Amino acid sequence: MGIVNISHRDLMSVESPGRYVGGEPNQCIKQEVIDSIVNTGSCKEVRTAFCFPDVYEIGMSNLAMQILYNCLNSLDYVYCERAFAPWLDMCNLMREKNIPLYTLETKSALFDFDIVAFTLGYEMCYTNVLLMLDLGKIPLLSKDRTDKDPIVICGGPVTYNIEPMCDFFDAVMMGEGEESILEVAEVIKKYKDSGKQSRKEVLKALSKIEGVYIPSFYEAVFSDKEGEKTYYTEAYSRIKKEDGTVEEVPVTFKGVAPVQTGLRKLEPEAPDVITKRIIKDLDNVLYPTDPIVPNNGIVHDRAYLEIFRGCIRGCRFCQAGFIYRPVREKSPDTLCKQGIAIEHNTGYDELGILSLSSSDYTGLKELTDGLLDAFEGRHSSLSLPSLRIDNFALDLMEKVSSTRKSGLTFAPEAGTQRLRDVINKGITEEDIMASLKLAFTGGWNTVKLYFMLGLPTETMEDVEGIALLARKIEQLYFDTARELGIKARKPEITVSTSMYIPKPFTPFQWERQNCKEEFLKKQSYLRSLLKSKNIKYNWHDVESSLWEVVLARGDRRLNKVLLEGYQSGLTYDAWDDQFKFDTWMSLLEKNGLSWETYARNYDTDEVLPWDHISVGVRKDFLLSEKKKAYDETVTPNCRVKCSGCGATCFKVGECVASR
Amino acid sequence: MTMQKHQKQYVQRAVFTRKGALSYIGHLDLMRTFERAIRRAELPILYSQGYNPRPMMVFALPLGVGIHTEGDVVDVPMSVPVDPDEFISKVNAELPVDLKILSSISIPEPKDSLMSIVAAADYRIEANGIGTVASKILDFEEVITTKKSKGKIITVDIRDLILDVNTIDDDSIVLKVAAGSSKNLRPDVFMNALCSSVNYDKESALDATVTRTALYCNCEGKLVGIA
Ligand code: SF4
Repeated sequence: MGIVNISHRDLMSVESPGRYVGGEPNQCIKQEVIDSIVNTGSCKEVRTAFCFPDVYEIGMSNLAMQILYNCLNSLDYVYCERAFAPWLDMCNLMREKNIPLYTLETKSALFDFDIVAFTLGYEMCYTNVLLMLDLGKIPLLSKDRTDKDPIVICGGPVTYNIEPMCDFFDAVMMGEGEESILEVAEVIKKYKDSGKQSRKEVLKALSKIEGVYIPSFYEAVFSDKEGEKTYYTEAYSRIKKEDGTVEEVPVTFKGVAPVQTGLRKLEPEAPDVITKRIIKDLDNVLYPTDPIVPNNGIVHDRAYLEIFRGCIRGCRFCQAGFIYRPVREKSPDTLCKQGIAIEHNTGYDELGILSLSSSDYTGLKELTDGLLDAFEGRHSSLSLPSLRIDNFALDLMEKVSSTRKSGLTFAPEAGTQRLRDVINKGITEEDIMASLKLAFTGGWNTVKLYFMLGLPTETMEDVEGIALLARKIEQLYFDTARELGIKARKPEITVSTSMYIPKPFTPFQWERQNCKEEFLKKQSYLRSLLKSKNIKYNWHDVESSLWEVVLARGDRRLNKVLLEGYQSGLTYDAWDDQFKFDTWMSLLEKNGLSWETYARNYDTDEVLPWDHISVGVRKDFLLSEKKKAYDETVTPNCRVKCSGCGATCFKVGECVASR
Repeated sequence: MTMQKHQKQYVQRAVFTRKGALSYIGHLDLMRTFERAIRRAELPILYSQGYNPRPMMVFALPLGVGIHTEGDVVDVPMSVPVDPDEFISKVNAELPVDLKILSSISIPEPKDSLMSIVAAADYRIEANGIGTVASKILDFEEVITTKKSKGKIITVDIRDLILDVNTIDDDSIVLKVAAGSSKNLRPDVFMNALCSSVNYDKESALDATVTRTALYCNCEGKLVGIA
């Protein structure tokens, strides 16, 4: 039995020891289970370690973890605890003193659990999964685990293409987990009751659960023509010439490894396609109104209220816009009750409203009025991070003082209308200018603008468009001040650009990524154009985006690369100061792979590593959206007109409402 | 700006303990933990005025990470009188297990803030063999040690900050030191000094558990326990 007793001296030797001790209000303590574990070394309940592969401060800000922790602990035959990735100093200490990674509730070593579950929110956390398994003394590879080891599962948005990490998981849960995690727990309970006879059998039973993918039941097939190890593909870089015409210059991706040509089933009963799970009725699914309140300060120290899932918009670059379809709203009534309960049960003074594009919520006014009324005199406030700026939003922000400080946020994503049409970002320059005029008139002077570089069909003219837009906004500020006859303050305009990463299950899933030189050229061009003292330009590190595309669109060959990366000491890739691009590139090369293998443009008739997973949205719909993108044609949002993406198969939400 | 009217305060002066998990969070996090517990308890705590109102609480002396306490003091101002017993039971029901209020009294709004009156503190230090050597430090004219200040390592004489060393047994002492905003000696600085001046074992020093047991104010030249 592994109950860890970490000494005072050890805790005092690491940074922020509060991360490693638990003891927070609302953490789940099942005393009878704990007594049984302490006295007899075991218990009949299914013990689950819910793991977040990053530090406590980040993990505790994660809603998925709080939701599933609550769901699992609502079952009397399950006890779910939490574990986080220890920071490097603690990792060293644990290795040196042979202390296994433990959960915060009972300080039990991970290897002692029946289920070890990971929630994966971003690809760059993959090596931390290996770190946690390793410190938890669990064999890293699924095939090396025996009946004595926990069943290691995962879920979360990146698992729709889990292939690069699939060798490390016994089972993968596709889609929303509130219901399926309970079904998984039930199967594991039977397995435990029967004395854990056969791991193979339990995996078979798990594969019968809708939405559960057992990677070891499949094998990926790659082309291996002798003497033809190199696969060339061509993409086009669009350059605008002096005379205004756009020229397409071919970019050749060399050194591309053999491509995946199929997926073979090794287990006849395994499903051909695994379809994600969704929650049909969000009003009646468990939502944590008494989440754990960390003692140790966390990244976003507030409670969350999720108001709907999905997004009606369908921006073509946005993975979230497709994988969470269809849109399903919670009723303002349920939300008000839950919001009030959360504020009361946590003592937080801020409730964060959470969704994609919150302005699309049909009951927004009713909800915010209701909550602000209830919070009156209690010094509590709301934060609404993804509001479209209009009169209603400005009015709301006026009432909610805390958002005011952070200024206004716009995400035009692209600098020209042409490119915004390509990506289906339904926002025009007139929209932006009209909103900003309202805001400037209302006294705002801080604007943050978000863009992406490297979007499909982008030319230098589009990049220039970003600078032009920022300058127009600067000018608008002074013009508005003059019109109003007031002395202008200094406007504070921030332009941020990120690197576009083509993601699975989007219309751009086949697109190439820009190479490092292209990204750098675009960044420095923009830098040269944004010299005004009122405009600040923030740019991101290019290399981490180049690695992210590999993980996002990767195949099974990357398991080995990730394992070797971890074994050579790479962890915390999401942290800029820990990320080692060159090491990753040489590991790819060592394994006969390259950045080009995954960053090139994919043929539309190629087998994609994630083809056996379905999010509801059909591949032919994505393809038609890709074609429309090249025609610069926009697609109306789900509420204006259903475009028949395939998500109607779930028979709920917006797809049904719009009929 | 409109003039903010000063609101009448009904203060609960509470003595609290912390141990276990709660001893490993910083002072700011400790304050937040208290704030949220009082908010959950729905007590009529007063808020600061201004742009970003916060519950008004005054802690006598920040508690360093890793230090337990058996006698720290906090002033919690309320908008209406609150019965101390009700205050204790409601807040304790909301505080995490390792943080508890021991006692509380109703006091009128203090003229001087609780923070400004702290003059000394007692720490119980439990460490291997500490009782056999620690009191020798009182015989020294000066105790020179190093401490970090604004990122630099500086040398200081801490002798006049050490007020008393009381030996309880071979492995524990109670140390009385100057504390507060003007003169303050942290127990870890004392432990360093102990190692360099009386050759106390560095390894044992790292294993020491430190518990703050009392806070004092200066009352006409004499140290008097707060609350
Ligand atoms: S089926 Fe229609 S309404 Fe439903 S998500 Fe797809 S486009 Fe939107």
